[in-house]
Amino acid sequence: MIIVALLKGVPARTTRVVTVSGVLKREEMDIVMNPHDVKAIEAADYVKRRVGGKVVALTMGPEVKLAPIMNGLYDAQVEGVDEAIVLSDRRMAGADTLATAYTVSLGVKRLLDVNRNAVDEVIRLIEAVAEKKILLERSKELYNSNLIPNRIYSTLPAVKQSTISEYVSGRISKQDTLSRLDKFRESLGNFVIVTGVKSTDGETGSVGPQVAEALSDLYAFLVPHITYVHDFDIEPSSNTVTAERKISRIIQILEVKLPVLLTISPGYRSRVAPAGFKKEVRENNYKGKVRDLIKWDATLIGADSRKIGLPGSPTLVGPGVDIGRPLSQKILGRTFVFKEGVGSLQWEGQTYGPFQPGDRVDGLPDPLQRELTDRGLIQPFGYQDLMRELFGEFNASR
Amino acid sequence: MLQDDGYKGVWVHIQHEEGQLTKPTLEILTAGRKVAEKLNHSLTAVVLGHEVEFLGRKTIEYGADEVIYCDDPKLENYLCLPYTTVLTNLVRERKPYAFLFLADEIGRDLAPRLAYRLKTGLATDNIELEIEDFYHVPTKTVYKNLLIQIRPDFATRVAKIYTPWHRPQIATVRPGNFGPAELDETRRGTFTVVKTNLNQEDFTVMLKDLRHIPTSPVQLDRAQAVVSIGLGILRDGRGNPRSSLEGFRLAQELAQAIQEKFGLKTEIGASRALIYAELKELHGLVTLDRQVGQTGKTVSPEIYFALGISGAVQHRVGMLRSKKIVAVNIDPGAPIFQIAHYPIIGDLYEEVPRLTELIRRF
Repeated sequence: MIIVALLKGVPARTTRVVTVSGVLKREEMDIVMNPHDVKAIEAADYVKRRVGGKVVALTMGPEVKLAPIMNGLYDAQVEGVDEAIVLSDRRMAGADTLATAYTVSLGVKRLLDVNRNAVDEVIRLIEAVAEKKILLERSKELYNSNLIPNRIYSTLPAVKQSTISEYVSGRISKQDTLSRLDKFRESLGNFVIVTGVKSTDGETGSVGPQVAEALSDLYAFLVPHITYVHDFDIEPSSNTVTAERKISRIIQILEVKLPVLLTISPGYRSRVAPAGFKKEVRENNYKGKVRDLIKWDATLIGADSRKIGLPGSPTLVGPGVDIGRPLSQKILGRTFVFKEGVGSLQWEGQTYGPFQPGDRVDGLPDPLQRELTDRGLIQPFGYQDLMRELFGEFNASR
Repeated sequence: MLQDDGYKGVWVHIQHEEGQLTKPTLEILTAGRKVAEKLNHSLTAVVLGHEVEFLGRKTIEYGADEVIYCDDPKLENYLCLPYTTVLTNLVRERKPYAFLFLADEIGRDLAPRLAYRLKTGLATDNIELEIEDFYHVPTKTVYKNLLIQIRPDFATRVAKIYTPWHRPQIATVRPGNFGPAELDETRRGTFTVVKTNLNQEDFTVMLKDLRHIPTSPVQLDRAQAVVSIGLGILRDGRGNPRSSLEGFRLAQELAQAIQEKFGLKTEIGASRALIYAELKELHGLVTLDRQVGQTGKTVSPEIYFALGISGAVQHRVGMLRSKKIVAVNIDPGAPIFQIAHYPIIGDLYEEVPRLTELIRRF
């Protein structure tokens, strides 16, 4: 089974963010993996331990920034990731969620195509009754490239009966071999995509559902999604996922046939994969751990240049706005305010006031402020002023 | 590329629970009313469900001019795919100018899928909506009366989002920012019943079971005074480590004093940073339902205390509508001071007990 984990690189320090007219300049910042996506990898790893297959991490953005993150996925701390793909192209820059989902869905489609093509190649070789040596050599190459699982061809001593080895040794007929390969080819359509509920930079949570919808555009079948999944299991025999998600004060228990896209909630805790499936899981697994980061550009995934990056984005980000700055701020012990009520003040032909106790004086001309200070009419905003302004309107009940 | 022709009207997606309009739904009617009036368009409430016609009619009394009501037993419980299909068909047929959803578990699930199917823009988590003309510099074009969607953006600021070329403009709206719509039983409007046209494929995801979660005793959104704590409680003004429990107790005493003295309903809130720190001492005390901010609750009490909270924008958008904001922080540069009415620059381990004492003697 192909298990795709969609990951995002986000700015490491949210206090130093570089944007140019609303678009993040990721290449100029320290980038880390979106913390919410850790749960996606955990979930992907669970699917792999339960069913077998390979976990493919897929991301989009500047390769130079994402490579360290993606390469880090092969570390021992992240057990399950087998290969990593970065969709990287200047033309993809500035994408909103719609353009991102379109691009990512093409990346997923290409991933499936590449894997399907590998099986097709094996099928063609067998149909053409290729020399055994050629068949074995090519199968080994595809196996080493992580494109066919142990079930089809294997160098693992524990997997004694791969389809190709059985065919080559004459234990199964050409017809049976082809039917097994066809069955495997079909099973590639039963994929699982997992991702975090949202990113810590954009915080929209929209890309997950939109990738599922974008994939439904590309295929003749519908790819459903389930968001905020805090618990799920997958049943390999029926290709069914059962997932729990919370809506308001209700927990929905949902069932779906593969393929499916799940967004994994921060509250997700991986289940323990049941024992007893080891052999099947191993057969479904791939060689694993392809160390080179795979980079695909817009042309390679067949993207329509009008639908990616800034040109493909219906939304534009405008200038930043100041929010909620209070008109009148009083800093305890620092802002000077009137000690008591003062009637109108005349100063150089202008009239100011009247003033209530606690009113700020910093709008008044400096010499007037000095005179008020000399006359002892003002003082720094104090605790009693604060109490009066906070609670004056509420009558003490006792 | 402009698809503005004939797109008219502001739509809001109505949510209901156990035969009642939810409180946030009353807010989305306020948001929709505001936008519709500025545009001089009508406000349409879109109600999906089963045997909830009376709720549809109720939305008129809360400000809708028109109701589109879609009844089907299969729509009784929310599921993304059938809801998306119904709404897609309605939008394609009737062409609204803007469509508003709540930024909750349903809106965040439904609006993105719908927006992609319609190939239009989506701005999520808006805290304010305006109608303004927009000048697009690269093409030197003015777009009249755009829905300006204002949302927290990239941690440090709040940004305006524009959707100049695509209709409808879809937005999710954060509850807690618009206030509930007022009931006016004399209001009249039109009520349109539409038929559903669902496919087998729309039920690819099947609802197997439902479980109700008991209501949380923490009701942040109903509190008149909220005392919130952040990671700042871990150190005092001299930089000495303090027990988080001690900080929590100080906040609790302050809240209690306010409640006893003035009869105000108080609650303890917390920043995301503190909750995610998962401190052992605060286990069971500072729970997820106390989180104030973008991922937690939006509150707008009479008085909000931010104790040891630096105030990332995600926190600020969750409390900036509070009527009076008091912030205690040792760092004069803390962003919380930008929006506090009453900044107190100092050690919370000294300031908070003093405030509590002053309240008791008030």
